[in-house]
Amino acid sequence: MTRDEAAEFLYREALHLDRREWDQWLALYAEDAVFWIPAWKSETEQTSDPDREMSLIYYEGRRNLEDRVFRIKSGQSPASTPLPRTVHAVTNVLITAREPHAVETSASWTVHRYDTRRKDAHVFFGLYEHRIERRDSEWLIARKKVLLMNDIVPSVLDVYAF
Amino acid sequence: MNEMRTIETISPIDSMIDAMIDDRPADGVFRLDRRMFTDPELFEAERRHVFEGGWVFLGLACEIPEAHDYFTRQIGRHPIVVMRDGSGSLGGFINSCPHKGSRVCQLAHGNSRLHVCPYHSWTFDSAGKNRGVKWKAAGAHAPAFDELSHDLRRLPAFAEHNGFLFGSLVGDVPPLSEHLGEAAKLLDLITEESPDGIELVPGSVAFTYHGNWKLQLENASDAYHFTSTHPSYLKVLELRAERPDDATPRSVWESDQPWSEEAAGVQGGSYSFDHGHVLNWGLIPASPAHPMYDRVEALGERLGPGKRDWIFNMRNLTVFPNMQIVESAASQLRIIRPIAPDMTEVTTWCFAPRGESAAARRQRIRSYEDFFNPTGMATPDDAACYENCQAGHASGLVGPLQGYSRGIAATKLGGNVFSDKLGMTPAANVLADSQLCDETLYHNYYRAWRTRMRAGVAREALA
Repeated sequence: MTRDEAAEFLYREALHLDRREWDQWLALYAEDAVFWIPAWKSETEQTSDPDREMSLIYYEGRRNLEDRVFRIKSGQSPASTPLPRTVHAVTNVLITAREPHAVETSASWTVHRYDTRRKDAHVFFGLYEHRIERRDSEWLIARKKVLLMNDIVPSVLDVYAF
Repeated sequence: MNEMRTIETISPIDSMIDAMIDDRPADGVFRLDRRMFTDPELFEAERRHVFEGGWVFLGLACEIPEAHDYFTRQIGRHPIVVMRDGSGSLGGFINSCPHKGSRVCQLAHGNSRLHVCPYHSWTFDSAGKNRGVKWKAAGAHAPAFDELSHDLRRLPAFAEHNGFLFGSLVGDVPPLSEHLGEAAKLLDLITEESPDGIELVPGSVAFTYHGNWKLQLENASDAYHFTSTHPSYLKVLELRAERPDDATPRSVWESDQPWSEEAAGVQGGSYSFDHGHVLNWGLIPASPAHPMYDRVEALGERLGPGKRDWIFNMRNLTVFPNMQIVESAASQLRIIRPIAPDMTEVTTWCFAPRGESAAARRQRIRSYEDFFNPTGMATPDDAACYENCQAGHASGLVGPLQGYSRGIAATKLGGNVFSDKLGMTPAANVLADSQLCDETLYHNYYRAWRTRMRAGVAREALA
């Protein structure tokens, strides 16, 4: 996977989220994928051991993302009904490691979220670290780690905004 | 002159305090004026009198175990630093340099023998003592300067109960033991979850919402909202039960559903304590979904069956006005901070018994994130409802609220067979079946609110 191809892969994930193409978004993830957003433990240091320290989200297994999508679509979550609108912008994509059947990337992201209930907007921003692996004939996300820089959560922050 | 003075001190707030709460126990009436959630002047007054005018929770002693450790928090609008000095004593201070007012400690927590103000280098030790006024000798001060204390200002009241630290910006408060009263036994129960006490899981998470601080205060005590606000979470638990998978987080509610109509008999209830503290609780049997299940026998041997059973029960404790401890899906400590009539910040931590197994700790953290985090599957739904309430209250001038009525006819003074197991005598209790969902415990908040507000107004009138 070249850097251009990696960037296109990340852009596609972002677009699926912003278009609410949930099934296509989930299909980018390996069944055993890790989805991790560490919490911060000081002004400068985020947590590093999800089994002993807090994360905002830590899931092992796509199944958990499927459950999150189920909840978002259920119509029974006040935070998700109506769903906020989002636009992701992904930049500064770099390949940080390369193996025969895997690449690791870093990228910068912003997500503009428009809360249709309150009619106001918020910008979240941070860094991505993806591990993308070739599984059979497909490139799939084996791990997505998100560093959220502005981590005081304004009411609602869900998987579609990362 | 005396007459003028009287007129000046009858502020609009003074007359508003009683008008906000229509509290007539003999008639079975408790109604709340919606301006409690919206009025800017009332908000300014309650920030002074409720938060800056009495005991508030600051943090845990276990956050600063070593000499010279410190953490920073706020009381109302004021930055506070809590430090452990070189001899191991804890102290609470206004985190503001007496010279020009800059915050002295900038970080959430740390360890330092000396704290140097970043603005003009006035220096303080971990007991708050001034250890240096830069270029003092050349300063050509008048003698009057030397008569002042240059130390960090000590909180007028600061005390610890069993590792829980409280402070007050006013000195005329009852002893902490009197403020906590019988509710202290619920704090003690938490520390008994391990023979070595509790600790915070590293990493705190904070969220804000566009709503009044009392919406968070009430919600932790609100058994009535659970199946209405969180059905999506409960549906996810059903999905997980249908498709079991080791990768999914556990929840105490995955098998136990005390709200169902089939759940017969007493399922929980509420306790109200003096000074505004309340507990909303539910019977939850020990099950593998609970991170302490591997210790159920050891807990029974160490504490007896009564306390052991209470440790597995759902317990939502509020220590008025700013501390909540929620033990259900996992174990959460919250500090509520009012920012504006329609803006509140809630800072949260997962706490845990020291020495639990790595598997139990992992299970606890996963359950916590899944349910409690503002990026999880329950808290955002609460926050959205707070914001919907605030939007609904709008001006506050559209009639009183009716949400303080359930349980009035079931309220009993004193304790009951369950509080007896903790040797605890609350001021009042309600025993609830699966769907009673007591709302009288909010009365206790607002009666304490009224007491603090009246005391604050009286204090200012004397000043």
